[in-house]
Amino acid sequence: MLTIKNLHASVNGREILKGIDLQIRAGEVHAVMGPNGSGKSSLASVLAGRDNYEVTEGEVWLDGKNLLEMKPEDRAREGVFLAFQYPVEIPGVSNINFLKTALAGVREYRGLPPLSAKEFLKLTREKQELVALDSKMVNRSLNEGFSGGEKKRNEIFQLAMLEPKLSILDETDSGLDIDALRVVSDGVNKLRTSDNAFIVITHYQRLLNHIVPDFVHVLYDGRIVRSGDKSLALELEEKGYDWLKELYHTGALQTS
Amino acid sequence: MTLQETTSLYNQLLESSAAAPSAEEPEAVVRLRSSALARFREKGFPTGKNEDWRFTSLTPYTDTHFSLEKISPGEDAIRNAIAETAIPGLDAYQLVLVNGSIRSDLSTLPDEKQAIIQPIDVAVSSGVFDAYLHENSFTGSDSLLALSTALFTDGCYINIPKEAVVDKPIRIIHIYGAADNVFFQPRHLWVINRHARATIIEQSVVVKDDRTLSLANSVCRVALEEDARLTHYELQQNAAGERWLHYSRVSQQRGSRYDNFTFSMPGADLIRNNLEMSLDDTATETHLYGLYLVGSDQLTDNHTAIAHQHPSCQSNQLYKGVITGNGKAVFNGKVLVSQDAQQTNAYQQNNNLLLSDHARVYAKPQLEIYADDVKCSHGCTIGQFNPEALFYLRSRGIDEAAARNLLVEAFAYDITDKMEDEPVKAYMQQLIHDSMTTTVVAG
Repeated sequence: MLTIKNLHASVNGREILKGIDLQIRAGEVHAVMGPNGSGKSSLASVLAGRDNYEVTEGEVWLDGKNLLEMKPEDRAREGVFLAFQYPVEIPGVSNINFLKTALAGVREYRGLPPLSAKEFLKLTREKQELVALDSKMVNRSLNEGFSGGEKKRNEIFQLAMLEPKLSILDETDSGLDIDALRVVSDGVNKLRTSDNAFIVITHYQRLLNHIVPDFVHVLYDGRIVRSGDKSLALELEEKGYDWLKELYHTGALQTS
Repeated sequence: MTLQETTSLYNQLLESSAAAPSAEEPEAVVRLRSSALARFREKGFPTGKNEDWRFTSLTPYTDTHFSLEKISPGEDAIRNAIAETAIPGLDAYQLVLVNGSIRSDLSTLPDEKQAIIQPIDVAVSSGVFDAYLHENSFTGSDSLLALSTALFTDGCYINIPKEAVVDKPIRIIHIYGAADNVFFQPRHLWVINRHARATIIEQSVVVKDDRTLSLANSVCRVALEEDARLTHYELQQNAAGERWLHYSRVSQQRGSRYDNFTFSMPGADLIRNNLEMSLDDTATETHLYGLYLVGSDQLTDNHTAIAHQHPSCQSNQLYKGVITGNGKAVFNGKVLVSQDAQQTNAYQQNNNLLLSDHARVYAKPQLEIYADDVKCSHGCTIGQFNPEALFYLRSRGIDEAAARNLLVEAFAYDITDKMEDEPVKAYMQQLIHDSMTTTVVAG
């Protein structure tokens, strides 16, 4: 589904991603871990099309289409969804109007007929339950005055509404208490199908107990320094990142 | 003494007034008009040399030949203008003024227990006009006020009797004709008597072709007596070639409340709103809300002034603007709190969004406070779209133009949300949406 080849990107002339290679197939969940500043969120931003990142080298293909040539809205319509680490509060834009506009755009692009008001309402209710989002939230201004947990739930709610191919969860677990973490994870698990894929960016093994990954990648200094299965996450939880950093700096790690 | 700039219109007005036969008006009114004319002759149209007109010199707008004759638009055009300005779902009285004269046949007016609506002449000849007359302006508009007093001929006098509650809003549609470049001066007087309540919605249409210019020097005197309440909507949906000078002086007696919503949609070449509040007794409440959307080659200038002269009055101002292309906006908000006006609450906020490199805004909060036991605040912001918000919306599949529109509507929401008349609110929100789609984003 997604092929990333030798991806380099920089911000203000400083190179943040230094050659990422990653292959994601439909139905898979990939966890991306790594210490602070290793480039995890940058990878998410580049995939979603945030414009302060400049791609200097490499390619990203989504089902045969060149993702890097697309505007952020077209990436979303093609099926990329970024669940933000810090969702933006937009007073005056109602959650529901925002969703209606977003869904209409996405459905039109995908050649689907627009939903009737009734169908939209039904879908909203259904997806809201998935993440136990209070219906009052849905009618409020977008993220305005939401707690950290509510914002994250709202992200997953939007994800559920837009039904993307590839979802990128950028530290969705940060700021969540144990109960909220379970609700959000359960929601994500229910959305997993053999046709979609997830990139789960996290610092902690904790989230991966709930959303079990097929692959775990460790990002350090803008490169994937190690890949493995879910046991790698457990190993990191136990040993931390220092041993990997050391191996990396002594050149003992094979990077791509 | 400095000589004022003698623009073409200035000369024309003075010549025509000299040639005009003396009207059949009471002696006192004739004297009033001639002294007002003398003041205008001396001061002329405001220029950039006047501090209150620094960014809006009238010289370029008045140095053109204007017709001073009233041209009545055709009946079809009048009917079109009424239809065009209709507010869907609004149940309201309708007052149609054509070149300032009441057209009863096109109007649906409240009964006389609720409102007495007459030509301004009635107020002039009965002496009511005199009772509410003033000469001094808080917004540097003395000469325009004098010009109006000297030469106005038409307008409406609305009197809401004591304790009357007008059961529906009164929608006033001002329609003007222009076969050639035209200058007109409507003059209105509205008196809301003790304990009376009313809502007035104003819209205006100039029937003209694209190349014709119109310049209006419109003056409205509003008096709220004790415990009276007026909600006043000024919906300015004007077209290219139109230049508007709006002057409103509102006086408030004890316990009265005045709410003003001034929406300046993109279109007119020039809109200058002068809104002056004279708080003449204690415990008054005033809310002024303004929204201005300014496109290329347009100038929208809002000057407000609130004179707190007695204790325990509240005023609140929120003005927001979106400027695009090479559009230019001015906000100048004066708040005067005199020494006796203890326990005053006066708040002012002005926020601006500049959507292009060439868009400009001149913002000037001006607070003069001589009392010590008061709460006053002012704030002013000038910014652009939050790029993070724009990216967030786009990352959900909303294209850039639609995302910008959503953010502008969100910016305006603070103002529209304050409107209590739902159909007017929905109408304005739609208008904002439409004008954003056609003007601002394109600009």
